[in-house]
Amino acid sequence: MEQATVTGTGSGPGGDGNGEAIRLEEVTKRFGDFTAVDAIDLAIHRGEFFSLLGPSGCGKTTTLRMLAGFEVPSEGRILLEGEPVEDVPPYERNVNMVFQSYALFGHLDVAGNVAFGLKRRKVPKDEIEQRVAEALELVSLGSRAKSRPAELSGGQRQRVALARALVNRPAVLLLDEPLGALDLKLRRQMQVELKQIQREVGITFVYVTHDQEEALSMSDRIAVMSDGRVVQCGPPEDVYEHPTEEFVAGFIGISNMLEGIVEGPGTVRVGNGMKVAAPLPADCDRGDTVQISVRPEKIAVDEDIESGMVAMRGRVISRIYHGVNTQITVDLGDGAHLVALEQQTYTASADDRWEEGMEISLGWHPENCLVLR
Amino acid sequence: MSGTTATVGTRVRRRRSRRREEGFDRPRFLKLYSTLVYLYLFIPIAVVVLFSFNSVKSLQSFQGFSLQWYDDFLSDPTLRESLFVSLRVALITMIVATVVGTALAIGLVRARTRWSPAANILMLIPLVTPEIVAGISALLIFSQLGIHLSFWTIVIAHITFSISYVTVVVRGRLASMGDEVEQAAMDLGATRFQAVRLVLVPELWPAIVAAGLLVFALSFDDFVLSFFTTGEDSQPLPVRIWSAIRFGVSPTINAIGTLMMVVSLTAIVAAVLVPRFFGRKESGIKVLTGQEGG
Repeated sequence: MEQATVTGTGSGPGGDGNGEAIRLEEVTKRFGDFTAVDAIDLAIHRGEFFSLLGPSGCGKTTTLRMLAGFEVPSEGRILLEGEPVEDVPPYERNVNMVFQSYALFGHLDVAGNVAFGLKRRKVPKDEIEQRVAEALELVSLGSRAKSRPAELSGGQRQRVALARALVNRPAVLLLDEPLGALDLKLRRQMQVELKQIQREVGITFVYVTHDQEEALSMSDRIAVMSDGRVVQCGPPEDVYEHPTEEFVAGFIGISNMLEGIVEGPGTVRVGNGMKVAAPLPADCDRGDTVQISVRPEKIAVDEDIESGMVAMRGRVISRIYHGVNTQITVDLGDGAHLVALEQQTYTASADDRWEEGMEISLGWHPENCLVLR
Repeated sequence: MSGTTATVGTRVRRRRSRRREEGFDRPRFLKLYSTLVYLYLFIPIAVVVLFSFNSVKSLQSFQGFSLQWYDDFLSDPTLRESLFVSLRVALITMIVATVVGTALAIGLVRARTRWSPAANILMLIPLVTPEIVAGISALLIFSQLGIHLSFWTIVIAHITFSISYVTVVVRGRLASMGDEVEQAAMDLGATRFQAVRLVLVPELWPAIVAAGLLVFALSFDDFVLSFFTTGEDSQPLPVRIWSAIRFGVSPTINAIGTLMMVVSLTAIVAAVLVPRFFGRKESGIKVLTGQEGG
């Protein structure tokens, strides 16, 4: 029955009509006095690539381990495909996990590792062989079936771990920072492959990471976590463009924060005394302290400043060359800093316009900034 | 004149750089020192082995090659019986200590209670207890309980100290493995017990086998503990030799010593080599000393 539902959902990722794969209701996990996960509510759709993103210690891994069954929630309910599973042991849950350390079985060869789950379920022998071969083909490791894990590279081990989990056709695949141990180039490549594999098999992926770029590039939806709570949950574009809290704006991407006080409708006076037009949330009153957040890529410099932009002057205090762009930090006075990006373009290279110590103007359209409380 | 000094200078420099290529600036006496240490370690052993093949009954001068002392040993029924007692004690000790010690290691590493640090340290005490103390206390306990000294009292005493060795070796390996491997097994449908049987024990197998063989070697040539726990009959070989020496030293001792050394060495070499037969690219020495990464 479980196999039919998984293989049957052939539709693409993020299909809202497919129903819920996972629902967390007021789930709390305490270790002694420490609350690792604090009353979170989440609904993860079938076939979705869902990421739990946050700094270490934010409760994302504990949440994943509760889904796997290695931790029992102190309070709340976990529904897997509509069934409560809080008290179901890991070996009876229709979920599989890819561990951060891969946790491959060193005494078995690659095929033996992948077949482990099917053998436990007493799947007929010839079906095991066929499914193992398919799973290894899916992760392009068909030729390494007889190798021992110790003979494989980090990337290959990672694929074995993935095949070992996917071959069981779980309702949900849980991934605990699976790319954390790989070098940058391999990580990028595996990000693309993981996403492709997920589309191909159509299984719900719950992906834990602290890497915002990874979460943005792979996920259908992201839940940003901090201190055991879900701070914001939504598609990558939403989380990046419209962070609802200062934490999210600061954690995802480089974010410029200017502290200010609400002066009147649509006006904020920032730290250096300038009055700035900004779209205020409805519940802001005169005198409230707010943060104005502007993404560096939304900031125009000098002659690029257009009419209708908020503009301020400042002094370049540092310049970091990144190749594709150069990141310049500008001091606006009174401790207020803004980071702007100078892009490589077909006419200009990104390191020949400004030097440290130069006075420059920065500007942005008011609608491109966010006011956070 | 000045030309000569220059050439000498280059020669000295060349010699220095050559020495540096050989390694670091290693002092020369290091070679001599190491050689002396090794001679000190191995001369007594070499003498025993050499004189076991002596053709005359002398422990001072070597006259010629013969196997007569080996023949003496093998044709002596009491010595032969003692050899089998020693082998049987070592074998039973190995099996029991390996099973109990492995179980203890798993418990110590995996159980997370506030008692586990204390339990981990307590486990080391049998290793550092002077054997003579262990021997005397074993003897006292057996006599207090009215247990007649026999083959089994030797076995029990040997198992006691062997468990700690097994636990130390297996625990090192287990701690370096982390617990994600068992969790992975459970995630894939294995119950807790199956995870131990199908994954944990096979993963630990090289360490378990190595620990078992080590314990076999230790038990096989143990004297002190055996001496205190041996009864009238079934004396293990070291105890038998000791009592034989009281009536005069015969070169047969050398033959027995050589043979015992061969048995112990075989067990230790096997302990080092066995992990390689499990298709892993790690040395058994590392498994035994516990210095390996995940």
